[in-house]
Amino acid sequence: MPRRTHEPRRHFLKTAGALALAGMAPAVVRGQGAPLQLGVLTPLTGAGGFDGPRMAKAMQAVIDEVNAAGGLLGRKVVLVVEDDQTNPEAAVRAARKLIDVTKVPAIMGTWASAVTSAVAPVCWESKTFLTTVSGADSITKLPHQGYLIRTQPNNHLQAGKHAEFIASLGVKRCFMMSIQAPFAQPTQERATEVLKQKGSQMVGTLIYDKDKTTYRSEVDQALKTNPDLIYLNGYAPDVTILLRDLYRAGYPGMRFAQSYAVTTKVLESLPHEVTEGVITVQPSADVASPAYELARKRLGIAEPDSYETQATDWASLVSLAIAKAKIATGTGIHDNVRKISQGSGTKVYSAVEGLKLLAQGTEINYEGASGPCDFTEIGDIVDCKFRYNKVAGGKFVLLKVA
Amino acid sequence: MPTLTDVGQLVVNGIMAGTILAVPAIGLTAIYAVLRFPNFALASHATIGAFAGYVANTAFGLPLLLSVIIAFVVAGAVGVATDEAVLKRFRPAGYITTAIASIALTIALENIVRFAFGNELRGYDLPIQRDWRLGAIRVGPQQVQNLVIAAIAMAALFGFLAFTRTGKAMRAVADNPMLASIKGINADMIGRLVNFVGMGLAGLGGMLIGLDTTIDPLTGFRSILSVFAAAVVGGLGSIPGAVVGALTVGIGEELCLLFLSPDYRSAVGFVAIVLVLTLRPRGILGQRAW
Repeated sequence: MPRRTHEPRRHFLKTAGALALAGMAPAVVRGQGAPLQLGVLTPLTGAGGFDGPRMAKAMQAVIDEVNAAGGLLGRKVVLVVEDDQTNPEAAVRAARKLIDVTKVPAIMGTWASAVTSAVAPVCWESKTFLTTVSGADSITKLPHQGYLIRTQPNNHLQAGKHAEFIASLGVKRCFMMSIQAPFAQPTQERATEVLKQKGSQMVGTLIYDKDKTTYRSEVDQALKTNPDLIYLNGYAPDVTILLRDLYRAGYPGMRFAQSYAVTTKVLESLPHEVTEGVITVQPSADVASPAYELARKRLGIAEPDSYETQATDWASLVSLAIAKAKIATGTGIHDNVRKISQGSGTKVYSAVEGLKLLAQGTEINYEGASGPCDFTEIGDIVDCKFRYNKVAGGKFVLLKVA
Repeated sequence: MPTLTDVGQLVVNGIMAGTILAVPAIGLTAIYAVLRFPNFALASHATIGAFAGYVANTAFGLPLLLSVIIAFVVAGAVGVATDEAVLKRFRPAGYITTAIASIALTIALENIVRFAFGNELRGYDLPIQRDWRLGAIRVGPQQVQNLVIAAIAMAALFGFLAFTRTGKAMRAVADNPMLASIKGINADMIGRLVNFVGMGLAGLGGMLIGLDTTIDPLTGFRSILSVFAAAVVGGLGSIPGAVVGALTVGIGEELCLLFLSPDYRSAVGFVAIVLVLTLRPRGILGQRAW
């Protein structure tokens, strides 16, 4: 009797095993209609816990549209979402699961640079395509063999753009004070180079120690060079002290800083006269782009931010690259992502629009909500927009997005 | 080539920074003198003082001087409470164990502050003033005010130690605990008192730092290494030594800018520690409390 009762279970196990083996076989062997799974690895918890869920949502919105328009390669697309916990170790485990068990051709969404640095080797070794927002210059310099793109501007691009903007303000003499950090010197060098090209001049730079309670002597050093503008390239705690010390010293010129160093909270913590006129900069979505307008409607948000628009673009780029490759593999995406994102093809602003044209055999050039999505050989974006704000009466006022 | 004005300005900046550093350094050294362990929980008590003063100043609208006193009292009271509840139990296990426990304590307290107030930066509700220019030298009114507060606190402490019976008892315990106990001095009571005064000074120092900058849960932690350097350079356990050490570190950190890039500034404090410990291990003024 007991043997009999076990028979159906054994039969079931055999069938399930066979099915699992079939799942490991190449996609072409599987029946049409089996869903096409794409990996999402965003921080749902930890330091990135604010951005991760919103990025996952933005990707899902694009995939919903793609599915409504008939899916990819005749298959329904399913996003398999894992939490990287903003933690490299947890992220690698989750990436392994996506690659080894779910067998996704692409993983989209790593946020922290430390996480991306840990996940990237796992991806390129298994020929899985990775898209990220991490900003550290080192990431695209990894030997990723083209299996990685990032839509976030790196330090080099940022420093160049900032310098162009500073020169456009008519600044003739710029001084740069940077916190001791890996980005300090490369940023200073790039800004110096671009300022010179634009007919302006970097009259001096210094790198200061973090965790000091006063920077009076550093401010004195800067003021001696008589600058029109001082670029404060640090974090909130030290930039706050610098702004105070510059005010006390009676510095009348312009001050420029990253938006993460002069936040709304910083404005609340300082007297208005100290922050008046400070200009801040941050990478921005391409708010004038039709793709941005489409993202707004798709997400039902008045102003999708840089992260939501970058996530929108990954889901679109990966979908289009798969359609172009006619095969859902990491190598297929790797070989085709630049064919659909740049070049002389017809400009398209959404995945669905691009899929239609690709089906007709037309070449396309996807223009994203976060920017033009044109990539260099090592996977960095060539261009993107920046948002410039100016502080007036303790509040941010938009200067321009350019 | 640096001019005399440059040097003058750096010395002035160094004195300002050193005086503020001296306040918590005295606290550290006083606790060491009596209880014989470096109490790293000073960092979180500086933060607690800064936040107590912040609440007094912004939530209750109290003026600067009253807020400073509240910073002292609250940090001192927390210091006594945490010592009674936590560190006292570790003391029989030796000074290294107690010092390590104090590091754990400071992390715990810092996170309690973070839990209550969050991570963001906060500023006191005080007007900011432009610097005075005395010839070519720039002096900040706020920093002069901080210097005066620090000087008054130090003078009060010196007066207390020199002229009051309790102050003398405190010095006696620091000099020779055994003899003091034979004389009938209650070492437990003196321990509580020195914790109150030491951590109170830390809280006051934390608020003075905050007045010049902004505060967040890491305010104390950021300056503890300089405070420790000041106390060691002056002679750990010597109260006048803490003042001398703080001024040495403060002025040294500024003067190094004449020939070093500012990102090496923190190194000066540690080079000073290495030099002092190599050439004069007892510190500039030795280790006698007085």
